[in-house]
This record gives sequence, C-alpha cells and structure tokens, in this order.
Amino acid sequence: MKKTIIGLNLDHYLKAMAGAVIAFLAIFAPYASKEGTSVSMISALLKRGGSYVDFILFGAVIFTALSAVASVVLFFMTSVKGVRLWQVIAAIQTVFVTLLLFSSKKILESTGLFNSFLSKNLGVGFFITLVAAYFTLINVMKVTRTNRGYILLTILSVIWLFPVLWIVLTSLRAEQGYYVGYFIPHGFTLQNFVNLFSNQSVLPFGRWWLNTFIVAICGCVFNTMIVLMTAFILSRTRFTGRKTFMNILMIIGMFPGFMSLIAVYNILKGLGLNQSLLALIVVGAAGAAMGYHVTKGFFDTIPKALDEAAIIDGASRFQIFRKITLPLSKSIIVYIALGGFLGAWSDYIFPSMLFGDKQSSYTVAVGLFWMTDFRRIDTYYTQFAAGAVLVALPIVILFVWLQRFYVEGLSGAVKG
Amino acid sequence: MLNKTTAGEDYKKRNFLTIFTKGDIFSKLSYIICGLANIKNGQIVKGLLFLGLEVLFFIFMGAKGVRLLADLTTLGTSTQSMVFNESIGIYETVQGDNSMLILLFGVIATVVTACFIAIWVFSIFSGERARALKSAGKHVPTFIEDVKSLANKNIHFLFLSVPVSGLLIFTVMPLIYMILMAFTNYDSEHQPPGNLFTWVAIKNFITLLSSSDRLSATFWPVLGWTFIWGICATFSCYFGGMALAIVINSKGIKLKKFWRTIFVITYAIPGFISLKFVATMLGERGIFNVLLQKWGFTDVALPFLTNTTWARVSVILVNLWIGVPVTMLMVSGILMNIPGEIYESAKIDGAGPFTMFRKITFPYMLFITTPYLISNLIGNFNNFNAIYFLTGGAPNSLDYFKGAGKTDLLVTWLYKLTKDSNDYNLAATIGIIIFVISAAFTLITFSRSQSMKNEEGFR
Repeated sequence: MKKTIIGLNLDHYLKAMAGAVIAFLAIFAPYASKEGTSVSMISALLKRGGSYVDFILFGAVIFTALSAVASVVLFFMTSVKGVRLWQVIAAIQTVFVTLLLFSSKKILESTGLFNSFLSKNLGVGFFITLVAAYFTLINVMKVTRTNRGYILLTILSVIWLFPVLWIVLTSLRAEQGYYVGYFIPHGFTLQNFVNLFSNQSVLPFGRWWLNTFIVAICGCVFNTMIVLMTAFILSRTRFTGRKTFMNILMIIGMFPGFMSLIAVYNILKGLGLNQSLLALIVVGAAGAAMGYHVTKGFFDTIPKALDEAAIIDGASRFQIFRKITLPLSKSIIVYIALGGFLGAWSDYIFPSMLFGDKQSSYTVAVGLFWMTDFRRIDTYYTQFAAGAVLVALPIVILFVWLQRFYVEGLSGAVKG
Repeated sequence: MLNKTTAGEDYKKRNFLTIFTKGDIFSKLSYIICGLANIKNGQIVKGLLFLGLEVLFFIFMGAKGVRLLADLTTLGTSTQSMVFNESIGIYETVQGDNSMLILLFGVIATVVTACFIAIWVFSIFSGERARALKSAGKHVPTFIEDVKSLANKNIHFLFLSVPVSGLLIFTVMPLIYMILMAFTNYDSEHQPPGNLFTWVAIKNFITLLSSSDRLSATFWPVLGWTFIWGICATFSCYFGGMALAIVINSKGIKLKKFWRTIFVITYAIPGFISLKFVATMLGERGIFNVLLQKWGFTDVALPFLTNTTWARVSVILVNLWIGVPVTMLMVSGILMNIPGEIYESAKIDGAGPFTMFRKITFPYMLFITTPYLISNLIGNFNNFNAIYFLTGGAPNSLDYFKGAGKTDLLVTWLYKLTKDSNDYNLAATIGIIIFVISAAFTLITFSRSQSMKNEEGFR
C-alpha cells in the first residue's frame, strides 16, 4: 500500500478495510435465531421463499461482499477513483443492511423457517453486519474527505419526510377508510380531490378554501400595514408615553390569547358580527400590533442619519415612512405578509368558536378538523388527506420560495 | 426660534396641578368645560371638539353609564324566576338580571370612562400649550395645521390610532372582563341568564392553589407537566436544531438549500394539519403501529397516545419534528455571523471540531440566543397547538377535575374549562396564573438582556 495519495486521507484506510471484512464475515454468523432454529444470511438467501422484499437480502449480501472485495483490491492498488467507487458500494451496502432491519420479518417468514418473527430474534451476525457497514462507510468517507454529515442528513430526511409522504399517499389512495394494513396504497386515484369539490351539500370544501383565502389575503394586507405602522412609530419616533405603550403591549402579550375569546365573542355578537368572515378579519387586524417586535428590531438597524437628512430636506415623517423606510424593508415586509397569510390558514381556535355549526362560513382549519372527529374519520380520512394536501401545497411552495426572507426575519428577531 | 423654546419651556414646567393653580380663569374653567382654553386662545374647532366629546360622555353617563357602573358592584340582584300569570293562568318566566352582560357592559363603561379621562387630561395640556404659545406671541396652530401635523410631527397619533383602538376593543376590554371574571363564581353552576353569579374575591385562587379538593389536585400536576413539557420541548428543539444547522452549514455539504428545504417542509405545513395527521398515525390502528407490527418490532399495538408516559414522550418527540426546523433556520442565520477567523486560529492551535463547538460556537450561540430561548420557553408553556391537536390532553384521568388529561397543559386545560365545562371563573384564574409565570420569566430575560436595556445604543 502506498504511503500517501493526494486527495485521500489514508490514516483511516485500515479501519475501513477491517469494517468491510468483518461485515463480510458476519454474513456467515447467525442472522436470526428463534427456538433453536438459526440461520445465517447466506443460508437464508439460498432458502429464499419468494417474498417481494427478497431483493433487499440479496442486495445486502452482494454489496457486503463487493465492499470487502473492494477493500482488499484497493489495498494493493489504491487510487482516488477506486476509493470513490468503494464509497458508493459501501453506501448502497449500508442502505440495504438498514432496510433489512425492517424487512427481515417478511423475508424470514417466507422461508418457512420462522413464524411470528420479531426483531428481537435477529441474531448477532446481523447486528455485526449493520454496525460494521456504518463503520466502514464512515471511515471510507474519512478517507475520501467527504463530510460524514450526509449520513445523518439522509437518515433524518427519511424520518422527516415519512409523515409527509403518508399524507400524500393517503390523499391518493383509492381504498377508503382510516385503517389500512399497508403503507403504499393498492390503488391510486384522484377521486378524493374530486369528491372534496363535488358533493357540495355535505362538504363545501371549495367554499371553505375560498373563505380561508379571503381571510388570508385581507389578514395579510391589514396585518402588514398595521405592524409596519406600529413598528415605524415605535422605532423611528420619540413621543411621551412611548415606553409605557410598549410595556403595556408586553404585559397584554403575557396573557394567554384565547383566555379572552369568550368576551371577544360577546362583543362581536353585540356588534352583530358573529358568524361572519368579517369578524375574523377585524379581530385578526385588531391584535396585529402585538407582533411589532421583529419589525421594530429591523427598523432599528436602518441608520437614523437617513431620516435626519430627509428632515433637513423638508420631508415629513409620513414621506420618510413611505419613501425611505418602506423601500429598505422588503425582506421584513415579506416576512410579516407571509406570517399573516400563514396565520389565517392555521388558525383554528377562534374560527371554531366563532362559527359554531355554521358550516358555510368555516375556514379550512375548522372544516378539516370537523372531518377528523372520531365519528367521521373513517368516512373522510382520505378526503381529509386530500384537503390537507390542497391546503399545505400552496403554503409550502410559498414558503420554500420566500425562505430567504423568512430566515432574515427570524434571525433579525433574535438580534432585536 | 428663541421664542419658541421659551414658550415650550414655559409649557413644559407646568404639570397637571400647576396649570390649574397658576392658570388664568379660562385655564381653571377648562378643567370643567373641556376645550375652553383652546377656544379662548384661537383654536376654536379643536376646543369645540373637546367640548363635544365631553358633552357626549356626560350624556352617555347620564343615560346609561352610571347605572352600568352601579350594577357592577352587585352583578345583578333579581334572579330569573317563574311567576304565575293569573290572566293567562300559566307560569311565566320573568327575565332577571344577566350577570354576564352586566359585567361586560360594566367593563365597557369603565373603559369609556378611562378614555374620557385621557381625553380630558389631554385637552387640559392642549389648552395650556395654546395659551403658552399665545402669551409668548407665537403663532397658535390652526385646526388645519393640526391636522396636517398628523403626517409629520404628530404622526404617532395617525399611525397608532387604528392599532390602539383595535387593541382597546378586542384585546384590552376582553382581557379586563376575563380578569374580573377570576374574582367571581361564574362556573357551570352559575350560568346566566338562569342564575346570577357574584363577586367572591380571591376564593378561586385559594381553591385552585391550596384546597385539598380535586381542583388543586389537578392544578399542581398539570402545572408540573407544563414545566416539564416546556423545558423538554424548548431544549430538545434548541439543541436538535442547532446540531442540524451545524451539520447543514458545515464545509463540504453540497446542496445546502435542498437539505434545508426538506426540513422546512414540516414547518411550512400548517400545524393543525401536520399534528392532527400525526395524531391519526399514532393511533392504535394508525400506520405507525401497523408498520411496527409488520416489521416485527412489536407484536402488540403500542399505546403511543393512550398511556400517560408514552403519550408524554410522544408529544415531545413529535414536537421535535416540528420545532427543530425553526431553530435550524434561525441558527443558520446566526452561524454565518460568527467570524471565520476564530475557527481558523482555533484550528492552528490544534482544536478539533468538538472542542471548537464547545469553546466557540456554543458560547456564542448561547450568548446571542438567551432571550430567544426564554421567550421560546414561555411559548412552549403555552404551546396550545402541539398538545391540543396531538392528544387533546388525553389520556384522561379520573383523578383529575372534569375533562383534564395527563398531557394537558395549563392553556389547554383553560380552553377545555371555557369550551366544554363553562367554568369561566377557573379558566380566568388559570389565565392569570399563566400570566404571572410568563411575567416572571420575562423579567428574568429583561434583566439579563443588554439589548433590551440599551435600546438607543443599538444604532
């Protein structure tokens, strides 16, 4: 073996090789054992019973062997390209061995050797292969100076996307009902989406969607205006009672918001606004000023000299607001607008209290929640998923698109 | 210029009392007849406006207000009852007082009075200002000029009028109403209009905090779980998000935006959808149990949301799923602000990645994010969505007061008390206790955070 190769860190080579060889040897150790029956991966593979996940066992064995071979061959003929290829092999091996953790039951039960197999019956050979596979991969990545973070990110991504995937799959599922004994639907359909909009009498989902959209747009516009005005005043001007005002806002903010919902409801009733969308918009806008902090923190960072120069040139405060502060605050405006828009989509408590049983005024949050009641969930589960996708999709797109502004706003919040 | 300053100083020296004692007859009279000093000193429209508001207020008070405020002391005396109507020959319901409406209107009358007092004081100072300007021989602003100044010097009146009136009507007034409710016995057995409720001073606090009955046997465990939840949820998300951000932002990771987007998706999906859905996935026949059984990890369904300990761990883990991306996004922004040279020199000194995290990244992070951490802690104490959509407070417990469950936080219990059992007094009492807890934590943050103390130094 050569001492040094540019682009590789050979200090870790021997560890990687040891891992690969141990993983290979462990193929012959007991893979699973229960009540006296014991089987190695190789013998399980030879006995395979025709389950559709057999390819996982097959892949695990093949790639473990390949990895071991690669490690030995590369020991004598070390090259950058070779090690990179080995890295790919080790990665695939790791994936297969990890998947084996979830498919062993199916594979082994189909061989006829085991019944009612449990993961705790997996043998020492399997766990050695599993650990050795990860150990090899990590060390090969060290050799090629690749960031090991990819392993963690991949595992976490799978965990994070699993529920999201389930929502999407459920929304496309042809079989109705809450309980199904499998992950991937047997039949795919768009009927769930169609149903949401077609049977108007039962579930006016289109109406709900429109309601929410109207509230969200209005909320977005009014909230942004109010927050911008409040933050501007509190950041750029000084007047008697300014501190007091800020302290009062802070104190109000420390009471749990929906403690006062009953009273708000009674006041709205007195104003004749109950059960209407207008109430939602008005109440949303009325409380918007409470969220001035982030914006104020942002305005605070705009140099005061700009304002002073403008005042000398004869600009009024209003002109400063319109012509200097606002054009400089694009990212924060997007941040508030996005927040206002999202808020309307996810607000549940207040609309649910406000609208009671008046279904035609429901927002999507209330409507979808209504579907998940335990009496209805079996009927509406797939439609609920379809509705969830329809609600989440525009928001996710908007969010991903405007992510940059959101990050700026969020880190600005910490600074302020 | 000089004149203006002297006039201003003359005006500033005066306070609420000296305007009266040292003022002329018009100034003195303007304590009773609002706006008189303005009218006398040339601000006729403004003065008349003040006067008009005063007249309106007194008409309101005379017609209704006094009665409303007086009723507030008793919250109603005549109970709704059945009276035999001899002419028809049946029992009829006679409307009694409605304590709830009395309380609500009483609060409205109080707030209106408070607003009037504010206007009254304002008018006195305004009149004094007009007098001072006039006596200094300066130009007294006309009504038109005053209106115009709303776009300039007095822009705070213009810009804050909408937010302040909004807050007053839909936040402050309801809040006062609910705070007062904590001192009444407006529970499920005293529901208007059938029954009256009345003032009980601090009895609710005593039953909740220190009685031996079921209420306080519910309150303390719920409070305890609220704290455990808040601390676990905050710190797990904080460290998880930080770790994730450090991994994504570390050198050698390509497609940073792609990875970030994957995690942000869960954050972008509205909470009620993702949480409600995960709740269905965690059910006894939900997909998690199905898969775990199919994969051979367990042969019986796991009680994710039905066993107390399982449910508590589950909500913390699911919250991690939603909360980590938020911290990740925030930390990403801050990480980029740490000067790279620090790491370079640490590397030369032989520090490994772990030492660098422990000695540089983490202290820096902690220093900057302490206020965020504490506000996040308060936020988690009140994290209604995570609990309500996931477990709804379940598993319910027979040891607890009506409806409260083992994963209920104070806020979700408060919500249940208002919505399900109509024990408004208890809900309000809990709301005040939550306020006290939040206020305590906020005070700690404020006393520790320099940026809060030194606002002007920031520029």
